[in-house]
Amino acid sequence: MKTKFALTVNGAKQRVTAEPGTPLLYVLRNALKLTGPRFGCGLAQCGACAVLVDGKEVRSCVVPVDSMVGKKVVTIEGLPEVWAQQKGIAPNSQTLHPVQQAWIDEQTPKCGYCQSGMMIAAVDLLSKNPNPTVAEIKDAFTNTPPSPHLCRCGTYAAIIDAVQRAAKVMNSTGGPA
Amino acid sequence: MIRRTQGSEAQLTTRRDFVRAGGALFVSLAAPLGEAAQIVATATTPDPTLLASWLEIRHDNTILLRTGRTETGTGMSAFYAQTLAEELRVRPEVITLIMGDTDRTPDGGYSAGFLIGAANVRKVGAYTYQALLSLAAEQLQVPASSITITAGVAAGGGKSLSYGQLLEGRHLDLKIPVTGKPTGMDASFGWGVGGLMGYSVTGNPPVKPVSEYTVVGTSFPMPGIPDKVTGRTAWSCDVPVPGLEGNLLHARMIRPPTVGSTLITAGTVDKKRFPTARVIAKGNLVAVVSPDEWEAVTAARAFASSTKWTAWSGLPGSEQLTTTLRARDWGTPSTRGDATAVIAALAQAERTVSASFEQPYVRHAPIGPYVAVADVRRDGTVTVWTHSSQSQGLRAQIANTLSVPREKVVIRWLDHAGQYGRTTHSGDGAEGDAVILSQLTGQPVRVQWMLPEDMAWSTASPGWIADIKGGLDAQGRITAVESAFRSPHMMDARLLGAILGRMPTTTTKSGNWNAIEWPYDRIKTRFEAAYGMPNLAGEAAHGGLRGNIMRTPGHRQQNFVLESMINEAAALAGADPIQFRREHTTEPRLLELLDATAQAAGWEARPSPRPGAGKTGNAPLIGRGAGIIFRDNAYWVGIAEVEVTPATGVVRATRFTIGADVGKVINPRHLDRCMKSGAVMGLSEALKEEVTFDRERVTSTDWNRYKILTMQEMPELRVVQISRDDKGFGTGGEASNAVAPSAVVAAFFDATGIFPRRIPLTPNYVKALLNG
Repeated sequence: MKTKFALTVNGAKQRVTAEPGTPLLYVLRNALKLTGPRFGCGLAQCGACAVLVDGKEVRSCVVPVDSMVGKKVVTIEGLPEVWAQQKGIAPNSQTLHPVQQAWIDEQTPKCGYCQSGMMIAAVDLLSKNPNPTVAEIKDAFTNTPPSPHLCRCGTYAAIIDAVQRAAKVMNSTGGPA
Repeated sequence: MIRRTQGSEAQLTTRRDFVRAGGALFVSLAAPLGEAAQIVATATTPDPTLLASWLEIRHDNTILLRTGRTETGTGMSAFYAQTLAEELRVRPEVITLIMGDTDRTPDGGYSAGFLIGAANVRKVGAYTYQALLSLAAEQLQVPASSITITAGVAAGGGKSLSYGQLLEGRHLDLKIPVTGKPTGMDASFGWGVGGLMGYSVTGNPPVKPVSEYTVVGTSFPMPGIPDKVTGRTAWSCDVPVPGLEGNLLHARMIRPPTVGSTLITAGTVDKKRFPTARVIAKGNLVAVVSPDEWEAVTAARAFASSTKWTAWSGLPGSEQLTTTLRARDWGTPSTRGDATAVIAALAQAERTVSASFEQPYVRHAPIGPYVAVADVRRDGTVTVWTHSSQSQGLRAQIANTLSVPREKVVIRWLDHAGQYGRTTHSGDGAEGDAVILSQLTGQPVRVQWMLPEDMAWSTASPGWIADIKGGLDAQGRITAVESAFRSPHMMDARLLGAILGRMPTTTTKSGNWNAIEWPYDRIKTRFEAAYGMPNLAGEAAHGGLRGNIMRTPGHRQQNFVLESMINEAAALAGADPIQFRREHTTEPRLLELLDATAQAAGWEARPSPRPGAGKTGNAPLIGRGAGIIFRDNAYWVGIAEVEVTPATGVVRATRFTIGADVGKVINPRHLDRCMKSGAVMGLSEALKEEVTFDRERVTSTDWNRYKILTMQEMPELRVVQISRDDKGFGTGGEASNAVAPSAVVAAFFDATGIFPRRIPLTPNYVKALLNG
């Protein structure tokens, strides 16, 4: 039966009505119009739908909306605000999260379909390891459960470049709290 | 990365030549702004002979460029802007693009046909520049020859005017000469739809010399990237028009359980559990629709189990694929070359190399499964939001399937996951499902395929077998090559929805073609045969395993066979594989690229296999190998270094060096990105990819069963670029995937002394190969 849920998404309180078992992805995309996270496999096998839940990467295509109550969900649309809060600066439309800026500066996306999930994985990684080596980046994007982050265009080298660029910027500006 | 620049361009048309020959173009150069300048929003495609259809120079000095071709992810949206910016002498930042919309772009054509698209943009820009120059001469009251135009500002006689000022109250009433005809259904093409190339701009306007380029050759960013990383891009999986939403139905398709099953009875939806879901069926096209997407998903799952289909079992099973193909009577091939001369040369050869190669089905496997939104109105108008690589072709297909005039159909193109060729022939995809369901329900419908559905029902790149023979003379030079390639065809552009719904769709031909662009001018005697057949199990109700082209189509497969034979022949001749290639070409571009790439890879000249090569043990054996390809005015060299662990059968690429000479490099950074990412796709194909099926259905239907390369499996990548001012543009995206497989198997041979004649090099295959 459809139920009302109060969610915190990108810092804002949201009320949505959905079947309790509806995967978070469908709520984000259809009810909240947050189209950053994307449907890839629906099986937690590719990473295109990844979002941050309480700062950690979660595959939104399989987690039910009823398990998200009381948690903080962040999509790529909310990353600039995450960075602004982290740095204690007022959010503004010009300042992107360093990970997003690095994805632009390194021209990382090709088709770009998987890259929302890749950036979420990068933010998660850099929160745990502010200065990862190439081997550590490869390990994180491949061996972190539940599955490797897959890119069919093959942009892995560009992702590594962007993660390392973002790390440099974040470290030089004080790094994550 | 290593970059070199070479060459200078041949003589170009000057403005004086041009005015003398075609000055009439400028008669109605500037006219008051009026109705004629407006592109009226109808389903009609803008007239390609009008400049206003191609571009708009606005009074704020920004420029809108329209092309029917689309961004595949290789950076073309940047390259078109760069190409136009050169000719118009403006900064590329002032240019925005509309791509792929059939009602807003003039030329059609397929997305990967960038070279044709770029030539069009270059000429449109050049015609426009000449017109602007004439207009500036008139307004500045100085001769055109004394005007300089920089960053969109014309200066002469001590005065200057921007393009926006020049055109204030006017528009350029310029005719653009084109050849081509509207895209439509056309059975003379293998896939049943004409117009793949779109319109081509003709004539010979004075283009800017490549040596004077200031924007082409720089790493201008891809315009869509900021929106993609911030979540602002409108993707084809999003609900495209806000107004559509209130009435939109989400659909999930219920596909037959086997490749050949037909519907006996459709099940029912439990209205208590799924109050707003309902079933739509037509022929074997079955869907559950609901205003709520998750309800559509869950209702479809519940419904599928209560739906009855006939049993079917007619596939050979993927284990038996190549045996089955070998047992077939293939009929008459397409041929190229001189069979008699080859037979004579092979008879005189000192030694011969003879080998048979094979590969299973592989697939495009985008990260995003097919999705489309369609709105079919009662008045017969049809709008489809899609990521098809060929909008005008899809428009013709949709009109054909729904039996409505093409003028009633609008295709709107949006970003989505890379297609890698699967929609180039304007078919396949969710669009057929969506228009049929929208017509049946009278509502706009969004059809999202699920991953297992896409991996089972989308078209795939067919498995193949090939035989090749090379003859060597006493000096160890190849004198003749004979090859035969056999594969189900790669031309199935039918819309699955139309097949299942028993609606009109395209016809397909079952032939294949000889795809290699010959890189070895010193091997003059050759004979190639390409045999085709219908889809595997094509007699089944829905057309069997449907075959389609995939990135570097036909050429990728046939070149792997040729390059593998070259590597085997080099070993037979006791020659270093790079030097062996050098001895079979006089092409300076290829020779220079071979040397530069070998140097970047730290290549040491010696024959393969390496001293100490082996095929047993727990310790990794190392090897290196090379492969090349020549395609669309671009040379590519790949050098793979691998580790083979005989005990486990695991092959790991440790380093891959990729070199390209694509003529004039348009955008070094995006070429670098294309080279590296293409290498990853090629390594994935060489090491991992295989579509599996049993006698009833495809079984590799998720990412655990259709494996692609992960980030950890990516080797160190090295890149070599050579840019030439005198060779035009070459294809910088497509063929980068095609040099990896031949280099990888050669490296395996170098390590083990055993030459694999099949890809992918999976552990089971490798263990069998080393133990055999």
